[in-house]
Formats: sequence, structure tokens, C-alpha cells
Amino acid sequence: MSSVDESAAAKDAGEDSVLIRMQDIRKHYEMGSQIVRALDGISVEIGRGDWVSFIGSSGSGKSTFLNILGCLDRPSGGEYFLNGVYVEELGANQLAEIRNREIGFIFQSFNLLPRATALGNVMQPLVYRRISYRRRKEMAMEALRRVRLDDRMDHLPNQLSGGQRQRVAIARALVTEPSILLADEPTGNLDSRTGAEIMQLFDQLHREGQTLILVTHEEDVAGLGDRVIELLDGKIIRDRRAGEPLH
Amino acid sequence: MFYVIFESTRSALISIFAHGLRSFLTTLGIVIGVASVIAVVSLTQGMSAFIGESFSSLGSNSLTIQSYTPIAEQMRGVRARLTPEDLELIERRGESIASITPILYANRTSQIRYAAQTTFSQIMGTTYAYSEVSQSYMLLGRFIAESDNLTRRRVAVIGEKVREDLALPENPVNEYVELGGEWFKIIGLLEPKGDIMGFNQDDIVLVPYSTMVSLQGNQARTDIQIQLSLSEDADVEDVTRQLTALLRNAHDLGPDEDDDFVINTAEQLMETFDTIINMVTLVIGGIVSISLLVGGIGIMNIMLVSVTERTREIGICKAVGAKRHHILAQFLIEAMLLSLLGGLIGLALGYGLGTAISSSIDSFPPASIPLWAIALALGFSGFVGVLFGILPAAKAANLDPIDALRYE
Repeated sequence: MSSVDESAAAKDAGEDSVLIRMQDIRKHYEMGSQIVRALDGISVEIGRGDWVSFIGSSGSGKSTFLNILGCLDRPSGGEYFLNGVYVEELGANQLAEIRNREIGFIFQSFNLLPRATALGNVMQPLVYRRISYRRRKEMAMEALRRVRLDDRMDHLPNQLSGGQRQRVAIARALVTEPSILLADEPTGNLDSRTGAEIMQLFDQLHREGQTLILVTHEEDVAGLGDRVIELLDGKIIRDRRAGEPLH
Repeated sequence: MFYVIFESTRSALISIFAHGLRSFLTTLGIVIGVASVIAVVSLTQGMSAFIGESFSSLGSNSLTIQSYTPIAEQMRGVRARLTPEDLELIERRGESIASITPILYANRTSQIRYAAQTTFSQIMGTTYAYSEVSQSYMLLGRFIAESDNLTRRRVAVIGEKVREDLALPENPVNEYVELGGEWFKIIGLLEPKGDIMGFNQDDIVLVPYSTMVSLQGNQARTDIQIQLSLSEDADVEDVTRQLTALLRNAHDLGPDEDDDFVINTAEQLMETFDTIINMVTLVIGGIVSISLLVGGIGIMNIMLVSVTERTREIGICKAVGAKRHHILAQFLIEAMLLSLLGGLIGLALGYGLGTAISSSIDSFPPASIPLWAIALALGFSGFVGVLFGILPAAKAANLDPIDALRYE
């Protein structure tokens, strides 16, 4: 818990402009006698308010990177500071707390709780923060308003369209006011028009100062951010400004 | 902590009622288990309470003395007896005795006839004091008097059941019935007393003691029972000790010989019944609580299925910040609530069942549930829920968030 407090202290002590600092992050799996190097020495810094896209084909280590970035998994080696907190030293419960406070997840397949309404889904992260029901409801309604879904609050996920579901997921990610929004192929399950709407929403959030990290394999989606980082075989092969020509 | 429990209870209730039918079927084992335990306990406890009341109406300071022959002795043809001399002895020498009466059971036949109707009943020879000792009161007519005994009058007092069985008129006084070949005039009808443990207390015919003695002929083998009631301030144990000494002396028993008689107090009898009933409660309760165990396994099974089914949901919750204990509490509380709800339904059902059984069988006393049984049933079903909820809850809490999110 103490390291989380430290992060709060670091926040107060003057905005460190670097939010994420990764140094030589590796993730190795043993598969029988073989060692699979899913990540093989990733070093990257991401500043507050940046919009960074990670791009790579399947098998490039994207998902592993995302899991480590999102504190769902721990690297086998290297250093990872998130908002001033040295993540590797944290236990499972502290990681859960970091996920709750610092990170808002947005998944390709939305990952909403099927038996909870849109409102209930958005309220869920706040349950783990000891916030009263009434206050949770207010905060969730506010978040749904931000994604312009306040007229669908009482609908279950299966009563919503794909775009609406993804907006519920974004509201759920926003409601905790996280340092980073972490989106994994957010438009992968949407048609192009709805996908564009979601990207517009991201653009708006970015302009409001939200740090955004996108993981995708679509060049069009990646190109909307400030910065594009290409992964291949667990290594960064290119780190460029968006809009720069590929070759 | 309280917050976690509160929120987990909220989500557990939502989840239980979201799958109403499945939840009900899951907890059915608990429902049936608790219902049967409560039904059994309520019936036996009702009976126990009833017996307590009936015996206290007999008066706790009444004693019965009977001859007693161990079976081994009976095989050798020996029979212990209580004789009219013993009665006389106790009348003369016994302390704190309010009233005393001999009872002589008809040993040849207990058949009674009135006109064309014949029935069997318990026929006893006794004296006027029986009325007081056994607290029997008259509905019609009079009881056996001292003079009836002195003159060996052929008169009888009958119980309500006998009157019905013989189809005697509403007022049977002055009618004649045939007992063992002799005609007896009915002089009184006893006030109905009802049943104790299936024994109808109104199935009774009383005749004067001396009349019964003369009917039986062979007086050398008379074996009587003696009933006596003690004065208010008497100590039952003291009197029992004194009577034992008197009778042992009269029967010439050596110090190493056992009593050839038994002295029963109403209290003793009541305690015996209570012991039997408690044993029955315990044994049946024990057997039935196995079904609670089975019910618990049912809950565990469904909870395990439910954890697998909700793996992805668990992953989502973990991704948005659920800690281990949040997930643990949620599933544990769900299992406990499921079990507890089953316990509550079972409680209501069991009480209904007990009441239905006791009211549908005439001679059965009303059902009653002691508070400890309610507490035990609910406590036990909650415990079963926790016991069998731990495994699935731990399984859920230990899921790796990445694997859980990937689960299809």
C-alpha cells in the first residue's frame, strides 16, 4: 500500500511529466525446453497527456506488453515505473489497487458484466474503492454523460449495440479518473462508422488532457495518435511521430 | 470489512435472484434437510411438552408400587408378589401418606358385555382412595365407596370409552354389565381424560377391590399394585427409602438380595419418557442431518459450475481493481446466503409439516419448535454454506486475471 501512497505524494510534489518509464522490460515463458521471448528488452517513456499507439502483427508481443503495461502481469526482468511507482515490487492485491486507480481498460470485446446494466457496469470499479452506493451512482452517471450514453443507463449489455457497449466500457474506464486509458484494439469488433465514432471520442478525451495508450494492428487507427511505436518479435523496431511516412 | 460484506451481499443477492429457479434447485437439498429436521424436532418436542403436562396433572407426589421379578427368576417359575398384607403394613407404618389404594387387575378375563355388545377393557379392583390418588373425577353418578368394599357389592365405575364401545346410553348409571360371568351395576361414569402416548385413559372399568378379590378366588396368589399419594410437604425420596426398607423387611430379603418390587414415581416415569424422546430426536435428527451434508455438496457443485461460468466476469472484476478478498467474499457470501435462504424456507416448511402431521393425527399433541432448534437449523445451514462455499470461492479468488479474461 505504501508505494501507492508514494505515488500520490509524487503527484502532489509537482507533476512529473513522465508517466511511464520502462527500462529493458523482458518477458520470457518456458514452453517445455524452449524459452519463448515474448518481450525482449523494451525501453520506452510515455509522458503525461500523450496519445501513443503500439502497432504490430499478431505474435509481435503486443498482448504481453499490454498485460504488463496494465499491471495484469509482471515482467521477468527490467524496470517499470508507473506514475512514480516501481511496479515489480507490488503484490497481487497492490497490483489490483494500481489497476483500480491508475488504469482504465478498454477491450476489443468490451468485457462488460452481462448481468449488470450499463450503469452497474460503470459503477463496478468504484465498489473496490469503498464509495457509497449513492456517490457511485452519481459518478457513474456523470461518466456515462461524458460518453453521451446517459439515455441508455438502465440497459443490459445485450440490449446495446457494439458502439454503445464500447462507450459503456470507456465510461467504466473513465469513472475512476485513471492516469492512463489503455485500449486494446478498441475498434476491432466494430464496423468502420462506429469505429470512427469511438476514435472521435478518444480524440476528444485526448484534447481534454487524458493520457491514451492504444494497442492495435490497424495503421489507420494507430495513425490518429501523436506517436506510433512498432513492435516486432518482442522488440521496438520503430518509434515515430504519427503522420510520418512509413518508409 | 463491513463495506466489503455489504457490497458482496448486494451482488450475491442479485446473482441468486437472477437465476431464481437454479438457485432454488441448488438449495433444495438444504430446504429438505432443514424441513425434515424441524418437522421431527417439532413433533417430538411437542410430544415431550405434552407428556410433561399430562404427568404433572397426575401429581408429582404420587407413587406406584409393583411386584418385580427379573426374567431369569421368571424362567425358574418364581413370581414375586405384593400381597394385601404389604398394603396393610404400608397403611399402618408408612410415613406422610395422604391416601393409599390397592389395585388388583382382572387376571382371567377382561371381557365386558352389555346386551349384545362385547368389548375388552382394563378391569381393576380398587378402593374409594383411587379417585384421589389418580385424580379421577366423576362425570355422572358416584365413585366406589368404602361400604361397597366392605360388602363386596357388584358395582362398577366405567370410563367414557367403555360406555361408547358397549353402546350404553348417555347416562349409563343403573344399567347392568356382565364381567367374568357376574352382573355388575354401573354406579358412575368417569370424566374423560384423553390419551397418554396412545394409551386411552378412558378405557377403564373400576370395581370394588374386595369384589375383585372374591372374583379371583385363589387368594394365595394375589399380586396387587399399590398406589399412594403423599402429603404436600413429603419428600418423595425419603418416603421411597422408607417404603423400600419396610417391604424388604416384610419380604425377608437378605442384604445381598435385590428388591422384588419397584417403586415408581410419576416424576421418574416422566424422566424416562423424556430420555426416550430425546434419544429419538437425536437419532432421527442425526440421520436427517446427513441430508444437510448432501445439500451442502449440491451447493458446492453448483458454485463450482458458477465460478467456471463466470470466469470471464471474475477476470473483468479483477482487471478493474477487485482484490482477492473481494472475489472470495462475493462467492462465499453467495454460497452462505443460498444455504441460509434454503434454511429459512426449510424452517417454514418443516414447521408447516409438523403442524400438519400433528393436527391430522387425532391423538398427536400440537407441534412446537424450541428456539434452539431454529438457531441450530439456521446456524448449521449457514455453516454448510460457508464450508462448501470455501472451495469454489477460493478457486474464483485465485484465478489469474489474464487467464480469466481470455476464458471463452
